[in-house]
Amino acid sequence: MRQSLKTLAAATGLAIASLGSAHAGPYDEFAGTTLVVNFPAHPHYNAVMQVLPEFTKETGIEVEVDQLPYLKMRERQTLELGQEDGDYDLIAYVVFSKADYVYADQLENLARYFMNPKLADPSYDSDDLIDGYVYNIGFAGGKKGYLEGKTGSLFGIPFGSETSVLGYRKDIFDKHGLKVPETYDELLETACKIPELEPGMGGLSSRAASGHHASHAFLLHLAPLGGRVFDDAWKPRINDEAGVAAANALKTIVDCGPEGAASYGFGEALGSFLNGDTAMFLDTTVVAGQIDDPSKSQVVGKVGWAMHPMGVRRGSQTGGFGIGIPKNALNKEAAFLLMQWLTSKKGDKLVAMAGGNPSRFSTHADEDVNAKFPHMATFGEALKHADPDWRPIIPVWGKINADIGTTLSKVLTEDLDIQEALDGVAERAEAIMDEAGYYTWQ
Amino acid sequence: MNRMTPYLFMAPAAVIIVITLLYPLGYMVYGSFRDWDPSQTIGETEWVGLRNYIVLYGDPAFRESMWVTLKFAFWVVTVEMILGVGLALLLDRNLRGMSLLRTLFILPMMIAPVVVGLMWRYMYHPTVGTINRWLKEFGFSGVDWLGQHALLSVIIADVWQWTPFIFILSLAALQSLPSSAIEAARMDGATNWQAIWHIKLPLMMPVLIVTCLLRLIDAFKVLEVILVLTEGGPGLSTEILALRISRTATEFRELGTAAAMSGYLMLLLMTLTAAMFIYTKLVERRAQRLARMVAEAE
Repeated sequence: MRQSLKTLAAATGLAIASLGSAHAGPYDEFAGTTLVVNFPAHPHYNAVMQVLPEFTKETGIEVEVDQLPYLKMRERQTLELGQEDGDYDLIAYVVFSKADYVYADQLENLARYFMNPKLADPSYDSDDLIDGYVYNIGFAGGKKGYLEGKTGSLFGIPFGSETSVLGYRKDIFDKHGLKVPETYDELLETACKIPELEPGMGGLSSRAASGHHASHAFLLHLAPLGGRVFDDAWKPRINDEAGVAAANALKTIVDCGPEGAASYGFGEALGSFLNGDTAMFLDTTVVAGQIDDPSKSQVVGKVGWAMHPMGVRRGSQTGGFGIGIPKNALNKEAAFLLMQWLTSKKGDKLVAMAGGNPSRFSTHADEDVNAKFPHMATFGEALKHADPDWRPIIPVWGKINADIGTTLSKVLTEDLDIQEALDGVAERAEAIMDEAGYYTWQ
Repeated sequence: MNRMTPYLFMAPAAVIIVITLLYPLGYMVYGSFRDWDPSQTIGETEWVGLRNYIVLYGDPAFRESMWVTLKFAFWVVTVEMILGVGLALLLDRNLRGMSLLRTLFILPMMIAPVVVGLMWRYMYHPTVGTINRWLKEFGFSGVDWLGQHALLSVIIADVWQWTPFIFILSLAALQSLPSSAIEAARMDGATNWQAIWHIKLPLMMPVLIVTCLLRLIDAFKVLEVILVLTEGGPGLSTEILALRISRTATEFRELGTAAAMSGYLMLLLMTLTAAMFIYTKLVERRAQRLARMVAEAE
């Protein structure tokens, strides 16, 4: 009897729902769906976790999160995306994975979702998304194969993206009457002056450990100093004058940095700035939340922010994460709705207020966000110069990146000659590119 | 009873062994002969014969990685064997609190390698690390542990974690030695040192060789501790083969090359294992001879 009553109630509910279906909300069809998403253990995604209940409340779509350390996440995704039926409906991917996943046809082209009137929110305002981030993280198939352009398509949306800014200790700069560096010459001079003025304190803390840390730090200087890893014909030009200048800049920074700086990964470099052992920090915007957090930082209220100094041009980095829908996802449309909601003006602001990295210009200019995070306006300014091409995003990049990082580590720790080191990298990179077919048309 | 009956009884076990042990191994070896990208199933990949092995043979980074692995394995196994056996000889006595001490000794072995890596990474930190702070407290200058002395640092971390493994097996071997042999030696006027050198160690040798072999195999496969501690740097100075294999498979997405590296590693380990088994046989014969002599003396 009880079972019959339940069935009757369910049937009545369905009938009422179908009566109103002409004006059904965009989420109704997917209410009750559980999405499985793969996110990294990262401050931005920790903020996202606080916002997800709001999405479920608004849409009725449940979200189950598999949060992993980001290198582990990449490992897991390598296995997951190759399966016929995947476990993940939505994934966050680190920017350099874009090339691998798109090239292997493992990510959905987002055009068919943005074309679908039942799914695409007309108020989404894609023009408000930060150009440099979208081109760097979301696009593939355009210029150079990995950027925007007439042949390009959108495969992901930046989410947890970051650029580079200069953090500096206002108290130390005021105490010694130092000018905040605006150019690379000023940056290097100030970095080496600080240990003389404040014995025991490093000038600038930078990542420098072997592998992707050293490579990242080098590339951070390469773009503003006028360099690129490859020329337009894919020939390595990393060993030209700009490349040598960037490697010299990194070496100077490490030599004038805190004790043991040559073995610093990102954690140590940031830790050194948070502990007050270093006067400047030139890296990602993602650290701002930790610098302002008294439980993690000894320099709360003492840090000022400035643009990434200029070399021969402005060129702050673009990186971090994007979100995309795997080709083998089981709930692609609901995943798109989550992706759209998270990166909408509302979602972006909610995540920013919870301590995440906004992906929209409007969020950087938002009054509430700026009242809570006064640095956001400077970050918004830096984003106008965000360079989507500061490092190549091609399938063989992992190998070249590792070689740059290990070779530069030898420059920093074993005094390997810079020109000789970069010549070696260029030679090996050319062989890798040749094998991968980049010179087929030459 | 049919002649085939014993084989029928063995068949389920044989099938399980083939599926669980030999199939993945064969898969790896087969993959090492192919140009294999993670987005492809192995059947879709191109057969390249020995190309992956030949390219690796001429790859200086791979050779450096192999050399680092050999150095690392040699030092950790040597130091751990000396310390583990030494500690076992020292603690093989029935004093109060000895069982608590033995339990404490084996604690490091129970900690997850990632945690061990993190713990040592912070202890080695140049400015806030405990080790350099102590050194500075006593008037010494700090050491660039994870820079200039990176290989030594990872060896120390591994020795700290795995010496207890040698200790526990050596202690078990010591406690199972026939007391009559040692008593006989003492009655003949042997000193402690002579009893250790001429009686205990030769009798323990078969166990020690197996222990050494297990550690050696494990040392060639260490990954997490080094990944967390140095990520293989500076340069390639701590990039042992397991780390390079992992990077080649996940970062470079070259599964065929990674499988060929595993093939080289497997060949090396098989050679070492065979050499040690031959040596074990010789030592066992010597131990049996010794045991017979002791029995005859009794």
